[in-house]
Amino acid sequence: MTGFVLRRIGQMAIALFGVSIVVFALIHFVPGDPVRIALGTRFDPEIYATLRERAGLNEPILIQYWNWLFAAIRGDLGVSFRSGQPVTAIVLQRLPATITLAGAALAIALLVSLPLGILSALRSGSRLDYVATTASQIGVSVPDFWAGIMYILLFSLTLSWLPPSGYSPFSQDPLGWLSHLLLPAMTVGLISGSILFRFVRSAVLEALNQDYVRTARAKGLSQLAVVRDHVLPNAWIPIVTVVGLQLGFLLGGVVVVELIFAWPGLGRLALLAVEDRDFTVLQGTVLYIAFIFLIINLLVDIIYGWLDPRIRYD
Amino acid sequence: MTDRASQRTLDAGEPPVEHRSRLRTTFETVRRNRLAVIGGVVLTALAVVALFADAIAPYTINEVDVANRLAPPSTTYPFGTDELGRDVFSRVIIASRVSLRVGFIAVGLALVIGVPIGLIAGYFGRTIDSILMRAMDVLFSFPAILLAIAILAALGSGITNAMLAIGIVYTPIFARITRGSVLSVRESVFVTAARSLGATDARIIRTHILPNVLAPIIVQASLSLAFAILAEAALSFLGLGVQPPAPAWGRMLNEAQGFLASAPWMAIFPGVAILLTVMAFNFLGDGLRDALDPQQRSVIESRGITA
Amino acid sequence: MTAPAPRPTADRVLTVDDLRVSFGTRTGVARVVNGISYHVDRGETLAIVGESGSGKSVSALSLLQLLPTPPARVEGIATFDGRDLLSLSEGGIRAIRGNRVAMIFQDPMTSLNPVRTIGRQLMEPIELHLGLRGDAARGRAIDLLQTVGIPSPERRIDDYPHQFSGGMRQRVMIAIGISCEPDLLIADEATTALDVTTQAQIVEEMESLQSRLGMALVWITHDLGVVAGIADRVMVLYGGRIMEEAAVSELYAQRRHPYTRGLLESLPTPGVDRPHRLTAIPGLPPNPSRMPPGCPFEPRCPHAVERCATERPQYRSPVPGHRVACHFEPEELYG
Repeated sequence: MTGFVLRRIGQMAIALFGVSIVVFALIHFVPGDPVRIALGTRFDPEIYATLRERAGLNEPILIQYWNWLFAAIRGDLGVSFRSGQPVTAIVLQRLPATITLAGAALAIALLVSLPLGILSALRSGSRLDYVATTASQIGVSVPDFWAGIMYILLFSLTLSWLPPSGYSPFSQDPLGWLSHLLLPAMTVGLISGSILFRFVRSAVLEALNQDYVRTARAKGLSQLAVVRDHVLPNAWIPIVTVVGLQLGFLLGGVVVVELIFAWPGLGRLALLAVEDRDFTVLQGTVLYIAFIFLIINLLVDIIYGWLDPRIRYD
Repeated sequence: MTDRASQRTLDAGEPPVEHRSRLRTTFETVRRNRLAVIGGVVLTALAVVALFADAIAPYTINEVDVANRLAPPSTTYPFGTDELGRDVFSRVIIASRVSLRVGFIAVGLALVIGVPIGLIAGYFGRTIDSILMRAMDVLFSFPAILLAIAILAALGSGITNAMLAIGIVYTPIFARITRGSVLSVRESVFVTAARSLGATDARIIRTHILPNVLAPIIVQASLSLAFAILAEAALSFLGLGVQPPAPAWGRMLNEAQGFLASAPWMAIFPGVAILLTVMAFNFLGDGLRDALDPQQRSVIESRGITA
Repeated sequence: MTAPAPRPTADRVLTVDDLRVSFGTRTGVARVVNGISYHVDRGETLAIVGESGSGKSVSALSLLQLLPTPPARVEGIATFDGRDLLSLSEGGIRAIRGNRVAMIFQDPMTSLNPVRTIGRQLMEPIELHLGLRGDAARGRAIDLLQTVGIPSPERRIDDYPHQFSGGMRQRVMIAIGISCEPDLLIADEATTALDVTTQAQIVEEMESLQSRLGMALVWITHDLGVVAGIADRVMVLYGGRIMEEAAVSELYAQRRHPYTRGLLESLPTPGVDRPHRLTAIPGLPPNPSRMPPGCPFEPRCPHAVERCATERPQYRSPVPGHRVACHFEPEELYG
């Protein structure tokens, strides 16, 4: 098992390396001078020169990359062109909000998809299965930003049940925190749940059709025992993989939803950085998100190895 | 839930079916799938609308009727008007063009780049495979929409760059699927036989491997189209895709946010348009997958670009 | 845990009466088993022989109600210990499965749960039917592994299926099958997925187990070579019907049904001096969705006449215990 984990970590490191190259390349693909663009109308020759110096933009490109990489490893991602604040601090400040949203969305997704998916597979062809499957096919096709707007229309504007946007920290106002979290989490969560539902259903169905289920039945086991001890343990494996992938997407993919609900997370930070042409912030955000994504994939792989003994002994 | 033993028994007892072309059997299977047929019909209608948009739309995109701004749906304006008095219905119709165009070109790009990469990686294996797949992994390390945004941030907004960005984001999945297919076919007997007869690599790839990897690619293409359209909508929602004055469903939604209370129809209809289009592609894609390659599970990876 | 029922005292363990199994498919009704009747006695081995699609596996699965009943439709009676297996309730049949009547299957890799240790899989029926728990169950499981010839059972009991070779896995399956000392064990193509040497070993083990436990054994296979070694009686199935049934020696010596003859003649014969072609039976097995009214073998029978296509042959019994489904006497066919 240790060998397996080490190998995966090695692969992650390589991917991270590649990611760093891509992220770094972003700022250097920008036509024109990034600092000049960022400063825009507030152009001042001295500030310009300082920023360029600080960003190390006067050195040859490979040196720049090297310096940048090492600084990044130490946690220094430069400063914002806009505000002058260190990027790392800005990112870390926004991180909890994104994690909260992703976590809540995933919770909703699991709550919806797991029971429905398993039941639909067990009662394949029934009315429940038909309704759930059709609903999921619609759910998978819904644009998340539109769903968010529709929910705002329904729950905030028409029914006035929930606030349309914003964020209030849990420590200050737990109920307010929840009411602000609910709509954005639901927007993403239901769509994610639709995707997961289809997957859960197919994973359980596939396990149900395996020969070992027939063997289990031939031993005289009850349906409950068969599902509990033979079907689900095998179905978990692909399900876990997908859940992990979904979580990864949720962390970086809630960009648009954060915008709509004015949710102060990383996604919104990235978007604002794009608008402001604040490339260091954009770089830092993207790098962080990719890093978290890779870590999650790593964890998923490890859990997968733990669940499936065949991989472990590879 | 059929017992595999009985299914196998049943299958074994059948005499061979008269030879039908694979295309025909696929078509038949898809035709029987009600949802796929609905998807196909909707898409055909959409294609017609997009092609003849100018003729179908009652008003041009810039025709304003300020007196009737923010008017609810009526017989003159079936989807209502926006804040400038423009007919939402016409704009939705004309915007369909953009969506379809970006979707097809982006997926086309992803195919053109991704499939050869997958072919080469899968066929030649070892170092080339490693390198290529690591590169694809790097692209996979980013949540799709973030990558697209980052690319557009670097290159600037606009319809061409949007196509490029979405295309790049979808390349890895085509590469991976192609590679997977190639790997499973590469070791099969008929390829070994061809090789022993002296066929060149290129010829083997072309005549033996490519036809067999075609099925999953086709399925993936139709599913990717669905999500490419979603992606385009998301990007234009963010102001990064198509620029004014060309209308785009996503941007219409963005503009509608400010008038949500007073004119909700501005937000409802473009969104429904996106939903129906994506659904249609999805249904068709699912139908194709059931007919061509039931093993595939591509929805998860395809959807990645939004949420 | 299911209550231990008294062992049936009768010599006849299983009596099957006019078993029919059909499936509703998109293209019509597939009649896979078309009225077979047979019996198995204590301690004897009945071999059911047939090609793929002859209905042999389906008929066995139906006995334990292991076929999903839509789309399957099972008719007939299967008497075991005075009760009809086919009409037992869910709870009733579950008490029998793995306990009094056990079944083992063809492919041990897919028939064993890959994510559960073989120990746990072996202990499931022990805990369920025999009421043993903990160390007692584990002890019995280890004994069973020993019995079927798995070395170091106390270590290997915690291993996973993929850590065993094909032959070993099949032994595990057998251990699971005999774990509760069933009265009847049904082996569905149990050695088909194994190489010849392992096959021979397994067959030998099964024979000794059988005589030790006094079980009745139904051995389903398409391989006539295996049959000769293990069976007391042989039943030849084709198109869901019994074509011929006889004691082993009778069958191989006399071969009265044209299909049986064809099967035996298509076996490669070792020790023949000059090289000769294998005689295969021309044609293909019947389509269960389009079963002919007459003899199912008619399209491929070298001796068929018009009557064979329209009229279903009755059983003829040239000698007691030997029946043949054919319109003709062997003398008429073979001279």
